[in-house]
Amino acid sequence: MCHQTVSLVARHIEADGIPTVIMGCAKDIVEHCGVPRFLFSDFPLGNSAGRPFDKVSQAETLELALRVLESAPGPRTTAQSPQRWSEDASWKRDYNDLSTLTPGKIAERRKEFDVIKDVARARREGT
Amino acid sequence: MTATAPGANAAFAQEDDVPIPYMQRTRDYYLALGYDNPYRWASFTEVPFAPLGKPLGRSRVGLITTAAPYRPDAGEQGPGAPYNAAAKFYQVYSVATDEVPDLRISHVGYDRKHTSAADINTYLPLTCLREAVTAGRIGSLASRLHGAPTNRSHRATFVDAAELLRRCREDEVDAVVLVPS
Repeated sequence: MCHQTVSLVARHIEADGIPTVIMGCAKDIVEHCGVPRFLFSDFPLGNSAGRPFDKVSQAETLELALRVLESAPGPRTTAQSPQRWSEDASWKRDYNDLSTLTPGKIAERRKEFDVIKDVARARREGT
Repeated sequence: MTATAPGANAAFAQEDDVPIPYMQRTRDYYLALGYDNPYRWASFTEVPFAPLGKPLGRSRVGLITTAAPYRPDAGEQGPGAPYNAAAKFYQVYSVATDEVPDLRISHVGYDRKHTSAADINTYLPLTCLREAVTAGRIGSLASRLHGAPTNRSHRATFVDAAELLRRCREDEVDAVVLVPS
């Protein structure tokens, strides 16, 4: 939900006249929504601002976002960071990967998610 | 300036080396788990656009994050912690930017297999933004950053967006950087 959340917020802020740029890792969600400016890093979710413990990666990621902020020609501008997470892209297969889940594992995941929903609901209603 | 180009001998990328289709993966995953009400992601035909009103070097920049303040009573929230719904927040919050706050991402579905959230700078570029101010790249940083609650409800997010805009106006920012966790 994070990428959709900031996409909706960016749209609202921009519509009021303040320019925005999103730094993120979920290209489809952000572009599907439609945002003014987006710096896409093809990294695992959680690394929107650069690689862990890599100051050069982080500084370059922010610099690219600032350049997009300055130079986007119009809405729906996406620039992709040239940085790669690793040479081997097989990590991309793993997120919500169903291919390795047995029926038993799927049932277990269902139960876990039902608990998560209950906790979130209780938290939301208590807020 | 010399252009860089891979040339005619560049190797093809791996066939599945494309941006991960999160909407499709999420849809398929939850259908497999037995939830037969696929989520409808927000999508619009019109997109607003406001050009920068002044050079970045004279602009005040705001920062919005989806990371959550650490709460000692909310269970495991550290690097590598499993998904923790108890750590979610449902109200916009604001914290000062003069030092790096203790914000965590255990409440979001980041890629736990390939990253651990051990380095806050991967999801909160506050230190980099402060260095950008020191370097003159941006004029100044807003005195506070803001946290955006993540919510499946579009309606709830619109309410939060209005509050975030109000706080950005109070901060008198000229531009905003938004960083989802």
